[in-house]
Amino acid sequence: MSALITLENISKSFLTEDIETRALQQVSLTISQGEYLSLTGQSGCGKSTLLSLLGLLDSPTKGQYWLAGQDVSTLSRNERAAIRCKKIGFVFQSFNLISDLTVSENVMLPLTYQSGVTSSYIKDKVAEVLAKVEMSHRANHYPSQLSGGQQQRVAVARALVNTPDIILADEPTGNLDSKNAEAVMSLFDQLHQDGATICMVTHDPKSAKRAQRSLEMFDGQLVGDVKNTESNFTPKAVGV
Amino acid sequence: MLMFLDIKYAIRQLFKSPRFTAMTLFVLIGGLSISLFTFSFLYSTVYKPLSLPNGDSIKAVTILKNGNFDMLTANDFTQMKDELNTLAEFGIYQESTTRVSIEDSGKSYSSARVREGFFKFAGVEPILGRTINAEDTVVGANPVALISEEIWQSDYRGNNEIIGSTIILDGVVTEIVGVMPAEYRFPNTARLWTTLSDDVLKPEGNNSAWHRSYARVKSGVTITQAEQEMTQVLRQIHQENVKLYQIEPSDLQVKLMTFQMAQTGGEGSIVFSFLNAVALMILLLACINVGNLLLARTLDKQKETAIRSALGANSVRLVSQLMWEGVLIALLGGFLSVLLVAAALDYTNMALQSWIPSGGSFWWRYGMDGATLGMAVVFTLVTILLSSFLPAWRSANQDINTTLRDGTRGAQSKKAGRLSRLLVTTQVFLVAILMLIGSISAYIAHSFINIELGDDYSHVMSARFQIPTDKYPSEKQQLNLTQELIQQVKQHPSVVDVVTNNWAGTRKLYLDNKEYLRDTEVPTADVIQTIGPLATVGVNLTIGRNFNVRDTQQTRKVALISESMAKRYWPNESAIDKSFTLELGEEKHKMSVVGVVSNRMNPSTMFGKIDAADEIYISGQQFIASYQVFFYRVLPGTENADEVFYRAMFNTDRSIELTYQVQPAEQNRNKMRESMALLSNITFITGFFALLLALVGIYGLTANAVAQRTHEVGIRRAIGATDLSITLMFLKQGGKQLVIGLGLALLCFALMAMGFHQFTEQLFPVMSYYVLAISVALGLSIIVMIAIFMPTKRAIQMEPSVALRYE
Ligand SMILES: Nc1ncnc2c1ncn2[C@@H]1O[C@H](COP(=O)(O)OP(=O)(O)O)[C@@H](O)[C@H]1O
Ligand SMILES: [Mg+2]
Repeated sequence: MSALITLENISKSFLTEDIETRALQQVSLTISQGEYLSLTGQSGCGKSTLLSLLGLLDSPTKGQYWLAGQDVSTLSRNERAAIRCKKIGFVFQSFNLISDLTVSENVMLPLTYQSGVTSSYIKDKVAEVLAKVEMSHRANHYPSQLSGGQQQRVAVARALVNTPDIILADEPTGNLDSKNAEAVMSLFDQLHQDGATICMVTHDPKSAKRAQRSLEMFDGQLVGDVKNTESNFTPKAVGV
Repeated sequence: MLMFLDIKYAIRQLFKSPRFTAMTLFVLIGGLSISLFTFSFLYSTVYKPLSLPNGDSIKAVTILKNGNFDMLTANDFTQMKDELNTLAEFGIYQESTTRVSIEDSGKSYSSARVREGFFKFAGVEPILGRTINAEDTVVGANPVALISEEIWQSDYRGNNEIIGSTIILDGVVTEIVGVMPAEYRFPNTARLWTTLSDDVLKPEGNNSAWHRSYARVKSGVTITQAEQEMTQVLRQIHQENVKLYQIEPSDLQVKLMTFQMAQTGGEGSIVFSFLNAVALMILLLACINVGNLLLARTLDKQKETAIRSALGANSVRLVSQLMWEGVLIALLGGFLSVLLVAAALDYTNMALQSWIPSGGSFWWRYGMDGATLGMAVVFTLVTILLSSFLPAWRSANQDINTTLRDGTRGAQSKKAGRLSRLLVTTQVFLVAILMLIGSISAYIAHSFINIELGDDYSHVMSARFQIPTDKYPSEKQQLNLTQELIQQVKQHPSVVDVVTNNWAGTRKLYLDNKEYLRDTEVPTADVIQTIGPLATVGVNLTIGRNFNVRDTQQTRKVALISESMAKRYWPNESAIDKSFTLELGEEKHKMSVVGVVSNRMNPSTMFGKIDAADEIYISGQQFIASYQVFFYRVLPGTENADEVFYRAMFNTDRSIELTYQVQPAEQNRNKMRESMALLSNITFITGFFALLLALVGIYGLTANAVAQRTHEVGIRRAIGATDLSITLMFLKQGGKQLVIGLGLALLCFALMAMGFHQFTEQLFPVMSYYVLAISVALGLSIIVMIAIFMPTKRAIQMEPSVALRYE
């Protein structure tokens, strides 16, 4: 298995009004291509912080981060933006769709930030991912016209549109009822089967079990890392 | 109790964000103060009731003759006064300058010639003695006068024995019969009151002199009723005059207006409304910005409001809660503005008194008064309505469901975004208009101040006087008197030279060998009668000769013409010995050019170029006038230069009537320039503040719009947008509003400029309007773009992970 992501002694502190919050302390972690990880832990233990560091939304205070063999711990803002745009897909708890844009416009957004993408490619790709999340019929609706589950499926489509190396999901089912949550979870299972690398923060132990590997955090540190043998799904293309 | 809690909460909010509070206050105080000051200043200058007993019923009678301002003649007055039923009081007076002789020297004071009833009309009693009564004005009566408290104090040290003593006024021994209280200056700037003799009332055919007049209508009669009756009576008199003297009939109308309005020639109301409109535009800008700043706060609390609403608060409660912050700021701003404006008015008062030696019209007293306070309350209430109530009401009536349902801002923020974009456009429009108007008026003032006049008035004194024609009926006598005066003045060791220069109006001239088909084809030039060397006032001979003693009424009529005229009619040859025909009144005179002199600014084309109109100087020995404008140049450093003329006058004939006091020739012009400079400074400061205001406003609006979208920026950044693409997105959006606002403003400006261009008769080249428009557009665009760029830059500096947590 080739290592897609390697974190070495990553620390992150926030300084607000002279109070230092150590959100992450000396976290080391390796994620392989095609892995499906879940990340659990009590609220405030640093899960979202870890995810934003993984997604290059923020840079670590200390430590080293390799993504696909490249040291990304000290990149400039624009270099990080370029990587986010090509290699990373995000799904948030609160969907984070842009309310002024239609479903398809929201989905195509990451592609519009890349250079050298033709509009016909964008059109095909958007249609493809919307079909994948079964939202093609709502392509021209605005987010406010959709239910929560539908909005989250659009958000997943947006995360897929740039064929990212890794999908990062922060409590994707946190705002959904159980039926919609199940739909989104099975979408992730599906993606995993198709070979995607996924890292998902969740509160729900059942959801966590669906992943191949479960990480547990406590107070900014990784305290558990177990393979889920009872995982029902085996990836088709692990460690190619 | 609930209200008390709301207020406490609002005060806490204001203290929690001192920068926001300070900025909002600054914007508000600026807008309120400018509007309030403008209002108060104009109100005192034009509308305010005079500070006399029953001051609000004191009216000046003015006549509109074919739409132009005119005055009543003494004849009109005599015939009208017994016909009128609507007036309680009605009288005439004259304003003038009176010289008080004190041994060998003396002082000139502004004065009024009045009749019985004048002081009763003003409603003020003398502090000593009596006022003018009917016996004082009968022909041949003993001359009497009242003096002001100031003269009494300064010249007589407040001596109580003064009543009955004599004073020499304009060379006439006059008895002092009364002293008027301090500050009393009615009808305008008077410090001395003499008598207007019954002599003026005797019928003089069609030559009766113009007089100023005052009136008070009977109680229960409206101003309009009185105006109608007076108009009707005056028209009857006029019709009879038309028949009697075969004069052209004209349309006459009587207007009763305040003394202030009459002074402004009725244009007061136009200036009043124009300047008030500009000031209100600034207040509107301020309101928009304060409103927006407060709206930003209420939007921040949108979720909180929705929760409160969901918990059962009704909209009245919500509005009152959201409003308090704005109300408190508006009240504080209103209060501070009143203090600021009071100080500014006091300062204006002081500055004015020191500029104008006579203190100016007695109603030019500026200070905080009831009307201004009332206006402050109105303005503050309007501000509260526009900037607090409306945003609060909007916010309270939001759709709770949309706001509560999810964290993303839905329809509400979209509406707010539209509003804020509209406001940016409006601001750009208003500021562009203000800047364009401001730059035109600054340009005019600048051109006026720096206008090339073609003369040199340094160390030159001027005197204007009228030779009494009953004493000197023949032209020969008049000329002799003038020449005697010139000799007397010249004798003084400090006097360099003397010249008289009477503007005889713009006259038609006919060139030899030229046919004029229509009357409008006949060219004109300004004609100036002159005796003595023109170099005295800086107009220099370039070729030919000056007038000399051999140019008499018996010899051929000679003329000196300006270079512009020589060039216009004899471009490639010498103008000397050329001739033309000049129309002076009824007569036509054949004139021979004997010399060419440098160009001079003509009074008839004050804003034009120096060579736009021509001057013809004719000899004062060949064309004799009883009215004289007398200039004499003195050596630098001469003290009491005005005494030179007064002494010469008293040595020659004391009954010469000075129509204006002897003063440096530059004085009038400087006063005009000073007031122009003041006007252009005020415009500049106001324009500058408006620009600052708009800048703060546009910055605030954009910052607010950007802040509203911080979350969205976070999302965009999370999925890979670069700083540049986000910046461009905001600039593009701001650019759209800029283009719309600016476009509309330029359209309005084009219309205004076209009208103005025509009105000023192509004063400025068309090019200058383009330059003006382009520079304003460019300047404003850069400023607006910076105002948009700054908050954008701040927003994108935030790490996306932080932006995403931002609510
Ligand atoms: N931008 C920030 N500024 C300050 N403190 C932060 C910031 N982001 C996270 N934290 C703090 O770091 C800790 C971890 O937060 P987070 O990663 O969001 O926890 P969670 O595990 O619930 O997702 C918390 O104490 C939080 O308050
Ligand atoms: Mg979290």
